[in-house]
Amino acid sequence: MLAGLALAGDRGAFGELVGRYADQARRVARAVLQDPDDADDAAQDAFLSALVKLGQYDASRPFGPWLMRIVANAATDRRRRREVRRVEILDEGLVAGGQRPDVAAEREVLSERLRQALAELPERRRMAVVLFDVEGYSHAEIAGILGMPEGTVRSEVFHARRRLRTLLADWRDEG
Amino acid sequence: MTESNTPFDHRPDPVLGEALRAALAPRDRAEFVARVLAAANRPADVLVDVLARWARLGIAAALLAALAATLVVGRGRRAATESAVGGADPEAVVAGVQEPEVGVLFASYSDR
Repeated sequence: MLAGLALAGDRGAFGELVGRYADQARRVARAVLQDPDDADDAAQDAFLSALVKLGQYDASRPFGPWLMRIVANAATDRRRRREVRRVEILDEGLVAGGQRPDVAAEREVLSERLRQALAELPERRRMAVVLFDVEGYSHAEIAGILGMPEGTVRSEVFHARRRLRTLLADWRDEG
Repeated sequence: MTESNTPFDHRPDPVLGEALRAALAPRDRAEFVARVLAAANRPADVLVDVLARWARLGIAAALLAALAATLVVGRGRRAATESAVGGADPEAVVAGVQEPEVGVLFASYSDR
């Protein structure tokens, strides 16, 4: 519906689509690129690309997976072009489980650890686990988004979870 | 956190999902949306300009092609007609039969 209106030139409808999928697109892009600014650039590229390709969208299918495929490709392309360097900035105090004065700070530390853990995973594994556990897409939908067999998606999600759950469990033990 | 017993757990993990969501949380959604929409308007203008220029060029090219085709066809017809009549007046050829001279006609009869 919204996609059809956007295709017909309704900029308000396109704006609504962007607003609805902005967070999701930026999270998926960040899962690939780590850097939030790079991720936003990739997400923007993806939305603009989607606007140009709206005529190719099959309105009988869900819009989210179609868009996320474009986001994943945009993020991957950007990562390849820019040769994103992964900079390991580990605060020694955080790694040692130092002072955690309040809950917000604790969560931020946990988030940082998760981001680092994600960064250590292979790219497709990162995207698979984020699309499954954060964005709620099915294995079949993720297979379509990432262009890989459904069984491979299940395997990637499993391996990513195993790594991230270990990290979360360690965090709890430390707390 | 829900530990899966098999590698192929079909259900999303809400605890892990929430932690990842917080870790990847983007900020300033409104700013981002405004930025995308502003960028979307720019290429559209450029695209319209490009398409309009292409359209103008296309129309001009089509007119030139039509003119050239008309000239070629017209010249071709004239050349075909001239070669058929061997340089004679085309109207005379079309007008058809000229009457034979009487003397020639009788001479050929008396020779028999």
